[in-house]
Amino acid sequence: MGETISLNLNGEVREAKAGLTTTLLEVIRDQLGLTGAKKGCNQGVCGACTVSIDGKLARACLSLAVNSVGREITTNEGLTEDGEPSALQQSFIDNGAVQCGFCTSGMIVSSHALLQDIPNPSIDEVRDGLSGNVCRCSGYRKIIDAVRGVARG
Amino acid sequence: MVAEKTTNEMYQVGKSIPKVDAREKVLGRAQYIAELTRPNMLFGAMLQSPYAHARIIAYDTTAAEKVTGVKCVLTGDDFEDHKMGPFIKDEGAIAKGKVRYMGEPVACVAAEDEETARAAALLINVEYEELPTVLSPEAALEAGAAVLHEDLADYFKVFEAIAENNLMSYTEISEGDVDKAWDECDLIVENVYETQAQNHLSLEPCGALAEVEPDGLINLWSANQSVFRVQANVCECLGLPMSRVRSMTPKVGAGFGNKMEAHIQPLCVALALATKRPVKMILSREEDFETVRARHPFKIRCKTGVKKDGTFVAREVELLLDGGAFADDSPGVLGNATLMSVGPYHFPHAKAFGKVAYTNHLRFAAFRGFGNPQVTFAGEAQINDIADKLGIDPIDLRLKNVLAKGQQWFGGQKVDSNGIYECLEKVRVSSDWDNKRKNSGENGIGISVAGHISGLLATGAIVRMLEDGTFVLNTGATDIGQGSDTVLTQICAEALQIPIDRIRTATPDTDASPYNWGTTASRVTYTTGRAVVGAAEDAVRQIKDYAAIVLESLADDLELREGGMVGIKGANKEVSFFEIAAMTHWGVGGPIVGSHTLVFDQSTIDPKRAVAKGMPFTNIGVFTFAAMVSEVAINQVTGKASAEGAWYAVDVGQAINPGLVEGQIDGGYAQGLGYALFEEMIWDDGRLANPTLMDYKVPGTAEVPYDIDTTIVEHPEPDGPFGAKGVGEITLVTVPASICNAITHASGVRLRKMPFSPERVLNGIIENEIT
Amino acid sequence: MTEAGYFDPVSVDEVVALLAADDEAKCVAGGASLVAMMNARLVEPSRLVSLRHVEELKKIETAEDGWLQIGALVRHCDVAIADELADGNQILSQAASLIANPVIRDMGTIGGSVGHFDPAADYPVALSALGAEIEIASEKGRRRIPVSNFFVDWYETALEPGDLITCIRVPPPPTGSTGIYEKLAKVKGDLGIAMVAVIMAMQGDAVSHLAVSVGGCGPKPIRLPEAEQALIGGSIDEAAIQDLVGKLSTASDPVDDVRASAAYRKLLIPRLVAQAIGQAKVNLRDGS
Repeated sequence: MGETISLNLNGEVREAKAGLTTTLLEVIRDQLGLTGAKKGCNQGVCGACTVSIDGKLARACLSLAVNSVGREITTNEGLTEDGEPSALQQSFIDNGAVQCGFCTSGMIVSSHALLQDIPNPSIDEVRDGLSGNVCRCSGYRKIIDAVRGVARG
Repeated sequence: MVAEKTTNEMYQVGKSIPKVDAREKVLGRAQYIAELTRPNMLFGAMLQSPYAHARIIAYDTTAAEKVTGVKCVLTGDDFEDHKMGPFIKDEGAIAKGKVRYMGEPVACVAAEDEETARAAALLINVEYEELPTVLSPEAALEAGAAVLHEDLADYFKVFEAIAENNLMSYTEISEGDVDKAWDECDLIVENVYETQAQNHLSLEPCGALAEVEPDGLINLWSANQSVFRVQANVCECLGLPMSRVRSMTPKVGAGFGNKMEAHIQPLCVALALATKRPVKMILSREEDFETVRARHPFKIRCKTGVKKDGTFVAREVELLLDGGAFADDSPGVLGNATLMSVGPYHFPHAKAFGKVAYTNHLRFAAFRGFGNPQVTFAGEAQINDIADKLGIDPIDLRLKNVLAKGQQWFGGQKVDSNGIYECLEKVRVSSDWDNKRKNSGENGIGISVAGHISGLLATGAIVRMLEDGTFVLNTGATDIGQGSDTVLTQICAEALQIPIDRIRTATPDTDASPYNWGTTASRVTYTTGRAVVGAAEDAVRQIKDYAAIVLESLADDLELREGGMVGIKGANKEVSFFEIAAMTHWGVGGPIVGSHTLVFDQSTIDPKRAVAKGMPFTNIGVFTFAAMVSEVAINQVTGKASAEGAWYAVDVGQAINPGLVEGQIDGGYAQGLGYALFEEMIWDDGRLANPTLMDYKVPGTAEVPYDIDTTIVEHPEPDGPFGAKGVGEITLVTVPASICNAITHASGVRLRKMPFSPERVLNGIIENEIT
Repeated sequence: MTEAGYFDPVSVDEVVALLAADDEAKCVAGGASLVAMMNARLVEPSRLVSLRHVEELKKIETAEDGWLQIGALVRHCDVAIADELADGNQILSQAASLIANPVIRDMGTIGGSVGHFDPAADYPVALSALGAEIEIASEKGRRRIPVSNFFVDWYETALEPGDLITCIRVPPPPTGSTGIYEKLAKVKGDLGIAMVAVIMAMQGDAVSHLAVSVGGCGPKPIRLPEAEQALIGGSIDEAAIQDLVGKLSTASDPVDDVRASAAYRKLLIPRLVAQAIGQAKVNLRDGS
């Protein structure tokens, strides 16, 4: 199934096999063991597979692996600090922003990007920034609190 | 009860500690079914029916079998005629002889990789002979309609079902004499309400992984709400003894009802048995939409009669449910809807009855609220119409008629914990109801109340002391994300008076866990919590017996002390759990295992008071209560209603973890909001027209207001764990009605059909302009 | 080093040569439309031509004839904040900002969206009101097609095999014009039930420019140049607006779909258009 490609993933060079239609999501989950990003719809709508590519947010399910070569890819796992929760991840824990957890990695990647752009976001700025990430459990309130909580320290 | 302390005296109960699984989830390390893998594992895929109703004439699997990497192709011919079902055993593992809905699995494939399996499944050729379809319950119940289950009369049923042709179940409950009571009424209002199908949309699609050990024992992991229901369903439809199947669960990406009964597990096990290799199947989002299950569409005729002063006299409710192609939980949903039709009110005369019919849709089944959101929408919208006609404030009218302390629920069950009156008073204040109701600005506010059940069936718990005096708690209850592992740990820690981190919660496993019917019916905190308290008490009794030896005292003179100590009342002398663990493991008696099981046994129907027919259950649960106010804004150009805020008061008996209760309120609100305003599964003839997230929309951050005010009301349930009862479903039940009533307040438009789409609101606005 | 069938050209000439060599070849830009279709097995390209290194397609620049040329690879997020889109032309930025969600706007490109042509998408209706052109390259050379001829029917454009959209050409905005883009969607970021784009300018009390386009209500955006023209020079009073919106509603050809009924869309068009024109008048009066 395809040829060997080399990806810049969370600051490391990782090799994987990819065919023409293999998505980045399939590669990172099935071959590279990074399973925080989820396949919730495979259509780019749910946001559970959100990653960062060259500093821009992207759906891993809509990103072809072969087209991701040479780009800097960051997943939720790449945002941890030596495997320990980052301030943002800890804020998700402390604010009760996690229920089933299926959306959580995508939420954190999107939130991280949001905080890079707007260090102290208002409630509505967080709502705008996360409008492409579906959570079916939480009603979003505690997620918004988590994002704003880390900004406030 | 172990403790009789009030909340602020309690040690672990009443504290919003973080969920015990939050850390692995934020790190992206939690393992769900899609992450699990076994050596030499194959992947399964299925072929779905292109017809809503057709006889299967022949299969041709040769092309699929020739594909490199394909190990096995199974069709209905490869399955014996066994059937499963929680109420009526009418469903096989796969279509056999005929298909009954479009999308139904008709064949499956196991191959070396998922892509090969999916491609091969499409190469299976099935010859069909189309049959006439029935696509609504009305059509299904017409004389001469095509019958879905020709053998319905012969199917095994767990209750005395009134079933014939396409009538799956009929239920009726009555109290007093409704027919005579109408004469006593000063005002009678009668309307018809309709509700739509809603998809659970658990973010994790359903999946399973099965492997057969050399001795024939089957290990099965799956996304589920009950490892025990999975085990039972798989064994029933494949004709296996339950001792052969071990059912387990990884982390579950939410349930809401869709993962309670079987989905893909039977096919996955069949493929593993046929190939003798592990097989994993993960449904695509489209397959999940098309084959798993959904919330029932209802048609509701609701008639309410009252006195001039607002006193409720009589209510009659008639229900018609689309049950889909298989019974699944439908008889239960009808039964619960019937029981909830009167709401948390005292009606001297009431009658509710209804039918659920087989149709050529996918099965409709359990979904957060279990038939209650539909009847609450109808009943609560109608009560607002009555309030308007009588010129009485909607909250005042409710306060006048809600169940008073000591009054029974419809059917006759006593209600011990009843905070409905207080809930109403709380939201009146928190929402600033009286001011907002007077100021008829652009926004409108609406009220609704509900009661719901919490409980049902059997459960157990084992509290086992480890060598160092810490514990494993094993209940078999699947945490589907709502936080039951955390809540049960808090209950256990309270009962043992030890810190949370001295308790590990075991993963549900039918080999090792005590029976637990499932994570459903708002029951885990209440029923499993009771079992945990009982098991902890059992352990404490044993601990005290051994402590009495060490302390040279009588067990009755001993008390638990915080942090894992047993001491003599009124004296400093004490012994630690560590010492008792060491003593029992190495010297005296044997390691401590506390256990407790129970089955919920309060009768739902009191035959001295009510007459019931076709009841699918006898003991459904205790009652939870909620009141909520919704605020909406209406766009006068488009008719689009948007939510602007919500105020809840929920009687949970006792919040074990208030933060998690808030999470249930917020989440129930969001899911109910989508249901009220725009979520709808739409069929075009027999084909589901929107089986994707592109076309089936759920609320995002833009749709759910941030301002959700939550008041937790605590009227302790006498036999609940530390007074607690459930909260999972009630938070959704009130939403459609409160939004409907808010739309009326904002626009003068009364909608009786869900969802409350821009089109329906705008048509109402235009109609009102004309008249 | 990479998968056979994957190409990573740097120039438009290379791209069109690759497309000419294989009818089944597909260009991949942001992936938002194409990869979703590949995942659903709706397309299975034999050859993928990545556009990511074709610098020419990433520019926003003003051509010699004064038209603004937005490269096909410009992402929605950048169209949404493009300073070059001024006055009435800002409707294109407004449309871009309402596409899907922040992540898709970071990925998706204007060329990909226009070429994919979902009649419920945002760009077509805005481009229709702008009177924009689509510039296309192929082995035969480059050509420009007005959007009125580019969007042909449901999901059908004037693109032929071997074609590559190079840029979207937008005429300079009418002096002093204002633009309104309105979209009604079930939820934020969803494809629209209906969209309206209005570009308007006035001199004194008289309308000097008017373009009204309606989307989501038929196979392609609806514009009625004659009806617009009839209002030029007038004061665009209530009667004039009612005349125009009635004609637009009559000209529309909506269908029932999972988002709304045809009947609702017929009802909606006059209301949305009247609101947008009213807002445009307010903007012009207030000088915003």
